Amino acid sequence: MKKHIDYYLLISVIIIGIFGIIMIYSASSIWAEFKYQDAFKYVRQQSLFFIVGIFIMMLTSKIDLNFLKKRANLILGLCFLLLILVLIPGIGTIRNGSRSWFGIGGLGVQPSEFAKLGLIIFTAKYLARNQKNMTDIKKGALPIFLVIGLFFLLIMLEPDFGTAMVMALTLIALIFVSGLKISFFVKLGVLGLAGIVALIIAAPYRMARIVSFLNPWSDPLGSGYQIIQSLYAIGPGGLLGQGFLNSRQKHFYLPEPQTDFIFSIISEEFGFLGVIIVCCFFFFIFYRMLKIALQASDLFKKYLAFGLAFGIFIQASLNLAVVVGLIPVTGVTLPFFSYGGSSLLISLISLGLVLNVSKK
Amino acid sequence: MFFSLIHERIRFVFIISIIILLAVIIKVFYIQVFAYEKLNTLAESLWSRELPIKADRGLIVDRNGEVLATNITTVSLVVVPGQIDDPQNVAKDLADILESDYQDMLKHVTKSTSIERVHPEGRGLDYTTAEKIDALGYDGVYLLKESKRYYPYETVLSHVLGYVGIDNQGLSGLELYYDEYLTGADGAIKYFSDGKGNKLELTEVYEAPTSGITLQLTIDINLQLAIENELDNAFAKYEPEQGLIVAMDPDTGEILAMASRPNFNSNNYQDYTTEVINRNLPIWMTYEPGSTFKIITLSAALEEQTINLFEDTFTDSGSINVDGSTIHCWKSGGHGTQTMLEVVENSCNPGFVKIGQTLGVDLLMDYIDAYGFGSKTGIDLNGESTGILFDPAAMGPVELATTSFGQGLSVTPVQQIRAVSAAINGGKLYTPYIVSAYLESETNSLIKKVEPNLTGQVISEETSSLVRYALESVVANGSGKNAYIENYRVGGKTGTAQKVENGSYLDGNYILSFMGFMPADDPEIVVYVAIDNPKGVTQYGGVVSAPIARNVLLSAIDILDIAPSKEGMAKEYTWLDKKYSILPNVVGLKKEEAAQALKNYKIEYSGEGDTVIYMSPSAGYYVAWGETIMLLLA
Repeated sequence: MKKHIDYYLLISVIIIGIFGIIMIYSASSIWAEFKYQDAFKYVRQQSLFFIVGIFIMMLTSKIDLNFLKKRANLILGLCFLLLILVLIPGIGTIRNGSRSWFGIGGLGVQPSEFAKLGLIIFTAKYLARNQKNMTDIKKGALPIFLVIGLFFLLIMLEPDFGTAMVMALTLIALIFVSGLKISFFVKLGVLGLAGIVALIIAAPYRMARIVSFLNPWSDPLGSGYQIIQSLYAIGPGGLLGQGFLNSRQKHFYLPEPQTDFIFSIISEEFGFLGVIIVCCFFFFIFYRMLKIALQASDLFKKYLAFGLAFGIFIQASLNLAVVVGLIPVTGVTLPFFSYGGSSLLISLISLGLVLNVSKK
Repeated sequence: MFFSLIHERIRFVFIISIIILLAVIIKVFYIQVFAYEKLNTLAESLWSRELPIKADRGLIVDRNGEVLATNITTVSLVVVPGQIDDPQNVAKDLADILESDYQDMLKHVTKSTSIERVHPEGRGLDYTTAEKIDALGYDGVYLLKESKRYYPYETVLSHVLGYVGIDNQGLSGLELYYDEYLTGADGAIKYFSDGKGNKLELTEVYEAPTSGITLQLTIDINLQLAIENELDNAFAKYEPEQGLIVAMDPDTGEILAMASRPNFNSNNYQDYTTEVINRNLPIWMTYEPGSTFKIITLSAALEEQTINLFEDTFTDSGSINVDGSTIHCWKSGGHGTQTMLEVVENSCNPGFVKIGQTLGVDLLMDYIDAYGFGSKTGIDLNGESTGILFDPAAMGPVELATTSFGQGLSVTPVQQIRAVSAAINGGKLYTPYIVSAYLESETNSLIKKVEPNLTGQVISEETSSLVRYALESVVANGSGKNAYIENYRVGGKTGTAQKVENGSYLDGNYILSFMGFMPADDPEIVVYVAIDNPKGVTQYGGVVSAPIARNVLLSAIDILDIAPSKEGMAKEYTWLDKKYSILPNVVGLKKEEAAQALKNYKIEYSGEGDTVIYMSPSAGYYVAWGETIMLLLA
C-alpha cells in the first residue's frame, strides 16, 4: 500500500487546471473587455479560485476521512437546508433563468454543486453500511433512492436540469457498482425515460431543445443558436485549429464562451489535436481515480472515490456531448475548464478527497 | 471476496466511459473533417462582411474602336453602422460636408444593417468632397470607388446607345439589350467582423471587380456624325416634326449609322420627355412607305417575269380606274406612253397599279412577306415595331393597287432598308444588327464575333441586277436626280407618303423619303432618309430627302473608301444643272490639240514642252464645264 498520494493524478490536475485558466483567458477576454472594460476580469477571478482550490484540495487530501464519514448526515442536512433556502426569493438569486445561486458579494455560490458532493459522501457511507442489504431492493435500495429523489426534485425546482442529471447519473452509477441487480436498473431506465417525457410535457422549452439538437437550423436564432455557433467554432478549427487566441466565435458569436461552451473555443483554436488532448486528460484522470477506487481497501473509501471520479467524468462527458451536438443542450459546465468558482472548488475538493483515498 | 463484484462493475463503467469519449472524438472528427467545408463556408459568411466595389461597365466602341460609351470614376460614401462609435457627430460632420439633412444622415448612420450606402446624397462625389470626408478619419465611414457612365459624343447615336440608371443598370437601347454583357462582376473588400459588426484585426481580402465586356458596333462614328449633321441641317432648314436616317451594309445587314430627330443627350436623359428618349424612329416608327415601296413590287414582277422592263409599255393618262375607284398619278395629265423602266423612273402610280395587277394579290403578298414586312427584323434593340399589312384573304383590287405603290400598309424604316438591301444585293435577306463583336475589356481581344445572319433568298441575282439597273436609272434619268453623284454609280428611289391620322389622310402633311445606294453595280451602302412634314418646300421626296441622301453618300465615299467608276449612267440634264461631260484623253496630244479637246474647261499648264504627259483629273470622269484641268507638259 502506498504512503503517498497519487502524484500522477495531482500533476495531471494541476496541468489541466492551468490549461483551463489559459483557455478561460482566451475565451473570455473579449467578453470581459466588453462587459467590464477589463480583459483579465474572468481569468483573474478563476486563477484566484484555482489557487485557493489547490490549497483546499491539499487540505482535503489530508483530513481524516472517517470524520467525514461520521459527519456525512450533518453535511447532507446542511446541503438540504441550502437547497431549500436558495429557492426562497430574496435569498436565492436568478441567473440564466434558474434560481440556483447565492450572491455573496460579487461571487456566486451554487448550493446544488455542494449538494452533489454531500450526496456522494452520504451515499458512499450508506452503501458501505448496507452492503449486505443491497440485494434487497426494499430494504437497501429504496431508502437511498428516496433521498436521491428528494434532492433531485429540489434541484429541478430551481430549475437546474444539468446539475440534477449529473447528480442522478453519478449516484445511479454508484449504486450500480455496489452490486444491485441489473434488472432493477432496466426498470429504472424505463422510469427515467417516462420521467423525461413528463418533464418535457411540463416545460415545452425542453422539447425545443431536443428538436434543435436534431436539427439546429430549424430555429437558428432561437433554440438552435448555441449549437450552431458551437459547430461554427468546432468545424473551422480543422485538424490543427486556428491557433491560440485566434478564435472568431468568441467575438460575440458564441454567448459567454468562457462557460458551458468553452470546449468549442478549445476545438476552434487547437483543432482536433486539442480535442484529443483534452479527452486524454479526462480519460487519464478518470483512469487514475478508478484505479484508486479499485485499490482502496475500505468500502466507504472505495465508494467515495468511485462516486467522486464518476461525478467529474460524467459531467465532463455530458458537456462534451452537448458541445459537439451528440445530445441536447443541458447546461452542464466542463470541470476544470468552464468559468465558475464553486464548480472549480467542488472539482478540486473532489480530487482532494480521491487523493486522500490514494494515500493508504 | 465480495469486492470482486464491485470491481467488475467499476471496470464495466470504465469501458462505458471509454465508449462515450470515443463517441465524442468521432463526432468531433466528423465535424472537423467531413463537415468542414460546409461549416467553414457557413461560418465564413457569418464572419465576413463585404464592402462592394462596383465593376466598370463594358465600353461601347464603333467599328474602328472609337469609344462611344465609357466610364468616369467617382466616389461614393458607405457607412458601416456597427463600427461607428459616435453616430451623432459622424452624422453631423457628414451632413455638413454633403450639405444634406442631419436627420437623414443620422438615419443612414444608425440604420440596423451591416453596410449602408448613403443614397442618393453620397453618390458620385467629387474629389474635394471625398478628401474632406477622408480627412475626418472616422471608423466605419468608407469611400468606395464607383464608376459613372459617360457618353463622349453626347447626343450622337443616343437612341441606339440608350442610357443607364443611377446603379449603372441599362435602361434603354444597347445598354438595356446587352445589359448582362456590359455589366461586370462587382468586386469587394472582405473583412471579418465580430458578432456586433465591429471590424476584426484580421486580414482583409481584396477581390478585384471584373469589368463588363466591350461591345464593338457595326456603327461607323464618322458616318454617324455625317448623318447627324445632315439631320441637324434638315431641321434648321425645313423645321420638320421628325426625321431619321439609317445606313446599312446591304451585303451583311450591318447598321453603319442610325439617327433620329428629336434626339437626346444620353448623359442627362432625365432632361427629356419619355416620348423623345423612347422613340428610336428607325425601328419604332411605322408609316406608309409610299413610292420607296415600289422597289418591292418591281422586284417581285421582275422575278416572276410578269413584266419586261424594256419592252413592255404602259400608257398613263394621269389616272387609272380600279374596280370603280379612280387612282391618280402624282403628275396631272399623266406621263403618256412609257416603257416599264420609265414607269419606274417616273414613279408612275398607275403604272405600278398595272405591275401589281400582273402579279395578283397572292404573289405580291408572298413577296412582301418574304421581304420580311409584317414581322420584326430581329435587330438587336428593344422596342421594334411590326407594322401592319392588309390581310391577303380580305384584299380586293383596290387594296392590291394601293399596296403596289406603297399605300395602305405601314412599315418601319428598318424593315424597308432591309428589304431594299435584299432587292439589290442579289436577293439575300439579312437580319440587321448593330453589335459586331464582343471584346475582352482589358486586352480588347476578340471573345466572339457576330456573323451576318442570312434568313432567306427572296429574288435571284439576275433579277437583283435588273432592280439595280432600274434604280440607277431612276437617279440618272428620273425622280431621283438630286441624289446623282458624278463619277459614282448611285441607285435610289424617292418616296412621298401621306400621313394617316384617325383613319384619314392628312392634307399637305407628308413623310418625304429617299432610299439610295452605291455603287449601283455592287452596293456597299444603302441609305434611307425620311423627313416628316418639312415646311416651306415642295412636298416631294426627290426635293427634300434625295439631296440629304446624296450628302450622306458623298461622306460615305471617303469613309468607306468607295472607288469612283466610269461605267455609270450619264445624267440627263435639265437647264438648271451644270453641264458635265466625259473628260477626253489628251495625254500624248500636242498642247494645241489638247486645248481644242478641252475647250469647255479651264486649263492650267505646268512643265516645259509641247506634249501632254499627264492630266488631272484623268480621262473618263464626268467633270463639270468650267472646272480646271491640270496638264503636265514635256
